[in-house]
Amino acid sequence: MVALADFFWGWLVGSLLLGFAVGWISVVHRGPSLSKNAGLGVGGIAAVLIGLSLARLVPGRAGYWLDLFLAMVAAYLIGCAIGSWLRYWVVARQSQRP
Amino acid sequence: MRGLYSSSGKWWPGAIPLVILWAVAAWTTMPAVEAELSARSAAALKDTILDKTKITAAGRDITLTAEAFSEEGRRAAVSAVEAVPGLRLVNDRTKLVPEASPYVWSIERDVVRVTLSGSAPLPASRTRLFDGAKAAFAGVEVVDHMALARGAPQRFDAAAMLLIDQMAKLKQGKITLTGTKVALKGMAKDLGGREAIAAALRNLPDGYSVGDNEIEAPPYVFRAYKDPVSGQVTLDGYVPDNAVHAALAGATGRKFFGDKVIDNLKASVGAPKGFVDAAVPALGALSRLSTGTLVLSDREVHLSGDAFYDVAANQIRGGLNKELPQGWTVKIDLSVKPQAAPVDATVCQQLFNGLLAKGTVQFDSASATIDKDSAGLLDRLIETAMRCPNAKIEVAGHTDSDGDNAFNQTLSERRARAVVDYMVRAGLSPERFQSFGYGSKIPVAENDTEAGKAKNRRIDFVVR
Repeated sequence: MVALADFFWGWLVGSLLLGFAVGWISVVHRGPSLSKNAGLGVGGIAAVLIGLSLARLVPGRAGYWLDLFLAMVAAYLIGCAIGSWLRYWVVARQSQRP
Repeated sequence: MRGLYSSSGKWWPGAIPLVILWAVAAWTTMPAVEAELSARSAAALKDTILDKTKITAAGRDITLTAEAFSEEGRRAAVSAVEAVPGLRLVNDRTKLVPEASPYVWSIERDVVRVTLSGSAPLPASRTRLFDGAKAAFAGVEVVDHMALARGAPQRFDAAAMLLIDQMAKLKQGKITLTGTKVALKGMAKDLGGREAIAAALRNLPDGYSVGDNEIEAPPYVFRAYKDPVSGQVTLDGYVPDNAVHAALAGATGRKFFGDKVIDNLKASVGAPKGFVDAAVPALGALSRLSTGTLVLSDREVHLSGDAFYDVAANQIRGGLNKELPQGWTVKIDLSVKPQAAPVDATVCQQLFNGLLAKGTVQFDSASATIDKDSAGLLDRLIETAMRCPNAKIEVAGHTDSDGDNAFNQTLSERRARAVVDYMVRAGLSPERFQSFGYGSKIPVAENDTEAGKAKNRRIDFVVR
């Protein structure tokens, strides 16, 4: 997959930026949070998908789509983490100043 | 870090745009990824030898369909594709090229084209054979119907190339290589083509052998025409070599005494076995005809023309058949020349003298056996004797002065007797002939030179 990064690095960067934006907003967002059970469910699905991908059980094009999905999700999550972390850092500095 | 954890519960709203982003990415990148992986796989297979190679990509998976020429080659090809970076799975649909048994390859030439068919062991040898055939048959259409198959005998290429070269010597035909056995049939372009091919086939690689060789060559033709009007004998066609040429020209000179020999013979290989042994007696038979044509075509002798008298025609028919070597056939179409008008004794004597001036009756050395070369002359003497049926003829034998007088005397008598017997066998009445021997008593030339002696060894005809 790494050897083919040429073809989709732009999309990974897009996912990363999307994640960054969502992460940035999520710190101050007041909407509903994912319940613990839903989080476990999402984690379970992710584990199954990763398992399928590593075991190369999904054939042909669907296999490629799965790999690409996981790579984009990973980029998204990294973006979210960076965005959230930076926002916390900014919010923390602003609250210390006055 | 705690904050990061608590905010992660609110990351989910981005999932919807992410899925949309993913769908677009999957849709747009897939063709490029598939094309790239196909190209990389094809490049990885560049140095492997495969037939009917087909690479299909589905996502990051490659389906490799191909026929390999050995198990090692097949595994190497699959491993080469598996090592392509970025590739996820290889669906191995490779198999081995079918094995042919018996291993048959052939080249056929007809009027319009040359066709290569059967099995070739590798694409490279197939190309080499096709190119070799195109070079050997410049200007002729070459069609490749060869299929690839395993199981070729060793040094197959060398053997097949040699056979292609042999095919170039054929006008049409087919050469088939079955395993290590070569079978040939067809018609050679040139007279010596059959022999040239047989010689070249000795250079086949070790282990190869020639089975059926049914190559035919154009007929090996030797012709002789006798024309009494111009007094000429014309020889044309082929003789095996210069020695045979000289022998036949010499025999013609002796047998056709007094006739001019026009020699248009050419030397060529490809003569049938026993050619000289057949040509010499056949020329002897022709020399006994008044007018005639002799054709030797391969092992067939065809003689036609006019004999001087009935008995001669029968003698020729019976004799030639026996004299030919084994395996030769003869076809004789003879008629008998109409008898010439009778003449009186004086003219008869002149005719005898005229004939004997051109040639003398020859005998084997120190014997009374008439040389076969004199048959033509004797036939003419007999024909002349038939024109003066009432004349009595004295046949006189003479020798040269070599040797004992008593022996020469007896020899000359026996030789004169032999000539008379010959004439009686031809149907002339024995009462008309008397034979005398004079030994060396009446020379017509000096006995001190070979030429003089040859003149003195003679048979004279005296009409009484």
